[in-house]
Amino acid sequence: MSGRVLVVDDEIEMQRALRAGLKYHDFDVRAVGSGEEAVREASVWRPDVILLDLGLPGMDGFATLKSLRPATRAAVIVVSVMPGEKDKVRALDAGADDYVVKPFGTDELVARIRAVLRRQADLREGEPVIRCGDLEIDLARRHVSVDGGAVHLTPTEYELLRYLGLHAGKPVTHTTLLRQVWGEYAVGDRYNTRYVVAQIRKKLGDDPANPRFILNEPGVGYRLSCPG
Amino acid sequence: MTTRRLAPYGVAVGGAVAITAAIGAVTALASVSGLSALYLLLVLWLGARWGRDPAVAGSVAAFLLYDFFFVPPVGTFSVRGPAELLELVVLLAIALVTSQLAASLRRAQSTAEAIAADSRALYELATAMLRTQEVAPALALVSESAERLACVERFAVVVGSTQLAGAELSADELKQAAWAFENGKTIGVAIKGGTVAPMKTHGPDAGSAYVPLASGVVVLRLRNGDADPADLRMLAALIGLADLLLDRRRAATEAERARGFEASDRLKAAILSSLSHELKSPIASLRAGLTALVAPGAGLQADQRELLTDMDRQATRLDRMVGELLALSRLEAGVALDREPHSFADLVGGSLRQMSAELKGHDVSLHIPDDLPDVEVDEAQVARVMTNLLENAVEWSSPNGGIEVGAAARDGELEAWVENEGPPIPPTDLDRVFETFYTRRAKGTGLGLAIVKRVVDAHGGRVRAENRRRGPRFTFTLPLAPVPAGK
Repeated sequence: MSGRVLVVDDEIEMQRALRAGLKYHDFDVRAVGSGEEAVREASVWRPDVILLDLGLPGMDGFATLKSLRPATRAAVIVVSVMPGEKDKVRALDAGADDYVVKPFGTDELVARIRAVLRRQADLREGEPVIRCGDLEIDLARRHVSVDGGAVHLTPTEYELLRYLGLHAGKPVTHTTLLRQVWGEYAVGDRYNTRYVVAQIRKKLGDDPANPRFILNEPGVGYRLSCPG
Repeated sequence: MTTRRLAPYGVAVGGAVAITAAIGAVTALASVSGLSALYLLLVLWLGARWGRDPAVAGSVAAFLLYDFFFVPPVGTFSVRGPAELLELVVLLAIALVTSQLAASLRRAQSTAEAIAADSRALYELATAMLRTQEVAPALALVSESAERLACVERFAVVVGSTQLAGAELSADELKQAAWAFENGKTIGVAIKGGTVAPMKTHGPDAGSAYVPLASGVVVLRLRNGDADPADLRMLAALIGLADLLLDRRRAATEAERARGFEASDRLKAAILSSLSHELKSPIASLRAGLTALVAPGAGLQADQRELLTDMDRQATRLDRMVGELLALSRLEAGVALDREPHSFADLVGGSLRQMSAELKGHDVSLHIPDDLPDVEVDEAQVARVMTNLLENAVEWSSPNGGIEVGAAARDGELEAWVENEGPPIPPTDLDRVFETFYTRRAKGTGLGLAIVKRVVDAHGGRVRAENRRRGPRFTFTLPLAPVPAGK
């Protein structure tokens, strides 16, 4: 078994399809139809990943996400039919690890689940060096290199890259970046993140229109993408 | 009528008789010369009071009575000598001159009074109209004022086939009013120089007149006989007021209709949005189920998996169509843009990543300068523009054909393009490709490029299609963001 996945979706057909699809990919799956059940199941069964549909009857997705957070350390992937950018940002800021837009194929979903599981494992190991393809961030020495070549970043640039690196694979919202790198006072001024990201990309030799490392998440923020 | 009209003549003759009697009484007591001048007073008074005709009647009566009773030979009407004839002529001349003078004075006075009355009435009406926001009661006021005029029997206002004011009209009259409006023909009266001129009409319904206005008709029925010119002027002014009121009503109706359209647009968007949501959920279950079975763990044969993959591709297509319908409905509902400064290269990067599966095998070349200024756009919407143009490029490029994406700052705007290697667009289709539901291929939705145009339009940009040497190119413009100070 490669992990426990709790599916929270009020549609029986969706539950059945995901149970089958994820089982074929060697996941241990349980499915529930409401937020209340999800919270209970999360604390009892202790899943690794929770697939949470935002459009639940009764206790809605955001409320469920809020009550899940203290109850579980599981990664939460928010699932929604056509979420607006604001919904994505809200879910991420409320503690979701990623989002998937419905309809999706099983392969795409499995890739996302594996990514959050891998990230969790990395975080538990507490590696002092973040490796992302050819990019290396040595947290102890505050040293960054691409293809073995040293990259000289300003303190702000380093902080931003480090934060993205610590959450590699996860979309990080503009608000979160501003708060983490600059502090509370900077929240709202997206020009900062865009400017600094542009500088980092230039130094990493990343083409913004076809980036290798820092991906733009439209309307949301950035994601450090690591191959493999 | 007749008695009232004959009364001045009675007074004229009676006055002449009374003065004759008075002169007779005085001359019986003493010989007083020049008493005939008393007649002058009568004629003067008659002329001033009633005008020419009673004054002439009075002077003739006075002459005859004076001649009969006082001019020798007394008791006959015989006139002897030029002196007496002169006396008659003088009397008549005085009658004519004074009556003329008095009449013109009286005319001037009555005109002044009529004008004052007209202005007062119109002023009162106008204030009453201003006080009421509703047009119908104001029109009723106009109609009432018109019907108070001596010459007007009825004053009705009709718009289309609806009567807005005045006594109820017959079906025939409504039909006639509609005809007058459609043909713009005034029937029964003429309006010229600020007054109404009744015209002689023939036929059974000679009484009703029809005056077409900008957005309605005034139906009039005038009383027989000569009308007071002041009343006719007032009537013309009232018709003018009715015209203004109907204009106001039309403006109000149009505003209301516009609000109605707006509300129905919102409703349409809400329905489409909920419909798309309802459509997407089953597609989601469908795709999840179909793709689950493709996994090797499901244990299906290769040909069965292939079939499922085909079905999933169709479900994906359906999903895209629903998404485009929703996007279009949102654009049509005029959802406000969320405009912020963005790096255009970032936007392109997002769309390229989203389209990476479809773009596989195509050589995508990027021509985006490093120092390109930021654009101020709704990121999600412009991402859709890029995605739709890339989809279109993939669709129309030859297998493994190159796709070029470029951008440049030009004349204070960003100009961007997507070009693909492939067959040119027929010249007649170059403009039509952006029309909603217009598509060049059997399986197209006709929405992708329509959405591109709407989004670019919403940003105040322009979009165009042209054929280049390698293939078709789609170019669009977007506004640049103001450069933040000190950065």
